[in-house]
Amino acid sequence: MIDELPEPMPDLDSLPFWEGLKANELRLQKCSACGALRWPARAICNRCSAFEAEWIACREDARIASWIRTHQVFAPAYRDRVPYVVVQVVLEAQADIRLIGGWQADRDPVYREAVVPRYSKRPSGTVVLDWAPREP
Amino acid sequence: MSAFRDQTAIVGIGYTPFSKSSGVTTLTLALRAIAAALEDAGLSAKDVDGLATFRVGDSVLPMVVAQSLGIRDLRFHLDQFGGGSVSHAMVGQAALALHAGVAETIVVYRALNARSGFRMGGTGRPLVDAVETQYQAPYGYFTPPQQFAMAARAHMDRYGTKPEHLGQIAVQQRAFARDNERAMMRAPMTMSDYLAARYVVEPFRLFDCCLETDGAVALVLTRAERARDLRQTPVLIRGAAWGGGQTLYSNEIEDTNRTAAADMAPRLYAMAGVGPSDFDLAELYDCFTYSVLVQLEDYGFCKKGEGGPFVASGATARGGAMPVNTHGGFLSEGYVHGLNHVAEAVSQLRHTAGARQVPDAELALSTAQPGYVAGSTAAIVLRRDAA
Ligand SMILES: [Zn+2]
Repeated sequence: MIDELPEPMPDLDSLPFWEGLKANELRLQKCSACGALRWPARAICNRCSAFEAEWIACREDARIASWIRTHQVFAPAYRDRVPYVVVQVVLEAQADIRLIGGWQADRDPVYREAVVPRYSKRPSGTVVLDWAPREP
Repeated sequence: MSAFRDQTAIVGIGYTPFSKSSGVTTLTLALRAIAAALEDAGLSAKDVDGLATFRVGDSVLPMVVAQSLGIRDLRFHLDQFGGGSVSHAMVGQAALALHAGVAETIVVYRALNARSGFRMGGTGRPLVDAVETQYQAPYGYFTPPQQFAMAARAHMDRYGTKPEHLGQIAVQQRAFARDNERAMMRAPMTMSDYLAARYVVEPFRLFDCCLETDGAVALVLTRAERARDLRQTPVLIRGAAWGGGQTLYSNEIEDTNRTAAADMAPRLYAMAGVGPSDFDLAELYDCFTYSVLVQLEDYGFCKKGEGGPFVASGATARGGAMPVNTHGGFLSEGYVHGLNHVAEAVSQLRHTAGARQVPDAELALSTAQPGYVAGSTAAIVLRRDAA
């Protein structure tokens, strides 16, 4: 039996983000006062201190900022899944938003390469955000 | 001039043995290290009126230590949540309390069974209450080696840092550990050994990663004028600084290769009246080789991006211009969350470090984790008392 992968644990701030993934949308908060995107989801804008925000479907393309390949088993669920690649991407929509995600390609990521999201549905019904090369 | 400069001192250091299985509680470890530190200082439990420690839910409450020491009226206490990002903050905060006259003798300690008990990142439990955790754990990304490897890879891709540069750090620190009877890893290590070891999290190989240790370290602090009447050569706290505010993924940070230490170092140096070229040695937080490399840049020992060539030059090695982690660090001595770095700096400045002594050491830098993961950092400047 393969152990279940760790599931997202949304809180009241982040729930719309995770619901967005189920609709295959990258939903982020956009500050109603200054227009800045907020990450992680939270009550206040780190630029202008406004509380008001709306959830928008954000521009999805991104670039690889870094990546790692995990060989050591840190949790039982990964016993049969190592080695695996995790990427850190920077959104083109706002350069200070960096997301962690899985990698969907048969090759290693390349620094600064353009990537697009893959909304990956698990058997549990959860949708997580993986990334793949943006093919020409 | 800073009113704080050189007004307080570290007058005692104490260790338990470092092992993979202590066989005793964190309370017992703490009490043994504290007893050793008080003996070193020529003081007794009756003199202690302040206790400071930091924990991540993995160690004994300081009030239990106070009860055990028979302290009836604890004038200063500090029980801070945190790991390596607050280690040196403990020393700074104790010094502030002494300087303010709140207490006379404060013991700072850290006790942990980090191999046989609570393993950092090995429990499936998040180490810090960071809001980011929920966005990372579903991808199998939840441990310190992963978080630091992510930054290290970016450094390699941006600046051409090579595996051999990281390897130099591991090899240089092992060379020091060979002359440290406390060190858990004393066997010779070559660059070939480093490169041949298995990957933990690429780009980190086994020897890029700190040890997991059961053990404790305690430090005794008092005001400088009283320190001069005690047993040991006082080691003065010349400066202390706190920094941070942003975690690695909060949207203020566009560059994961520049840490909170880069903003903090100038005010630490201003307080201490020193610059990077003044240090005889540095004990830098080395949870991973990369954290040493990025701190060499952010504390101004070399330019941003040049940490790799800087370590390859030998400047940080035995006999170099500014040896780093003269005890072997977390990579080879053991992992006591930063207090073993402070204790080693004290030994060096007392000129009692034996075969690994840096000749005529007068001034040392010692640092906490530079701000990754938890988002906070701290550092201290220590000076041998010239009196
Ligand atoms: Zn705003």
